[in-house]
Amino acid sequence: MSASSFVSDMTFQDRLDVLVGTDMRSGGPTVAPDPVNQPMIRHWAAAFEDDNPVYTDVEFAAASRFGGIVAPPLMLQTWTMGTPMITGIRERGGAPQPSNDRGPLTVFDEAGFIGTLASNSEFEINRYLRIGEVVSAATVIESISPEKTTRIGRGHFVTWITTYSVEDGEVVGTQRFRILKFIPGSAA
Amino acid sequence: MSGRRTTLTIADVSVGDELPPLVIDMTATVVVAGAIATRDFMPVHHDRSYANAQGSPEIFMNILSDTAYCSRFVTDWAGPEAMVRKLAIRLGAPAFAGSVLTYTGSVTATAVVDGEGIVEVALQANNDLGEHVSGTVVIGLPIG
Repeated sequence: MSASSFVSDMTFQDRLDVLVGTDMRSGGPTVAPDPVNQPMIRHWAAAFEDDNPVYTDVEFAAASRFGGIVAPPLMLQTWTMGTPMITGIRERGGAPQPSNDRGPLTVFDEAGFIGTLASNSEFEINRYLRIGEVVSAATVIESISPEKTTRIGRGHFVTWITTYSVEDGEVVGTQRFRILKFIPGSAA
Repeated sequence: MSGRRTTLTIADVSVGDELPPLVIDMTATVVVAGAIATRDFMPVHHDRSYANAQGSPEIFMNILSDTAYCSRFVTDWAGPEAMVRKLAIRLGAPAFAGSVLTYTGSVTATAVVDGEGIVEVALQANNDLGEHVSGTVVIGLPIG
């Protein structure tokens, strides 16, 4: 949806309110580029020095309540992160891929709120993922705050809800995530 | 690293129990390792000159790493068969490369629901700038 074509007489806040309930991605849920797999789990466990044996020890995991290797529950968000094109990532402010469709948050960037800072993350985990499962993430904007003055500048808090599912549609977890879109250098 | 291979049961846990603190020496390597392991390539988590241009004195930890450490902090204490059911965190002061982060927490509620022990932990992690993160984690434990 292009917000700019029909909203010339709307206030900026009106344009934000329209986004509530909008899918973050017009092309439908984001599907993980790879199934849940041991190499990415091992890499994650090493990075955080988390030696929980149900993540990497096949024998221990098989005898545990989980019955086999499981992915760390807080890796849930990692599986559907975009595969990056490294060239140009700095110029794109970290956006993994160049795209004409940057989603509903483009309205902030056009208004100068180009900074992004995560502030809250809340997970509910229904069950742990197993090796071979393919995760999809469907994300909807839940709310957008009025403009706030924060320690790092003026901005709006944007909250979205992501529902994580596996191939047969079973929901394995949900996440509420909040970021601040802010104007860099606008701190009082 | 805890190396723990046994898991607490609900009978082992009481409201007010304190978790062993977890201290993370937040080197640049730790920041970058966490960002890339969570597939977060935002330059503020690996490129100091980019972070400087954004008004940050250093690269800083990404939120996916925060949730990872909060999960580890609780399961290091509770054991490998503790199942994380809920985790909710709020970020405060940044965790810049070069700082030291100390996680502390305590048990705030216990219950038995449908044959599983449910434990709520309130946690926070502080560094030299103050409170970096606070939140709650709910885990499921065996009845024993």
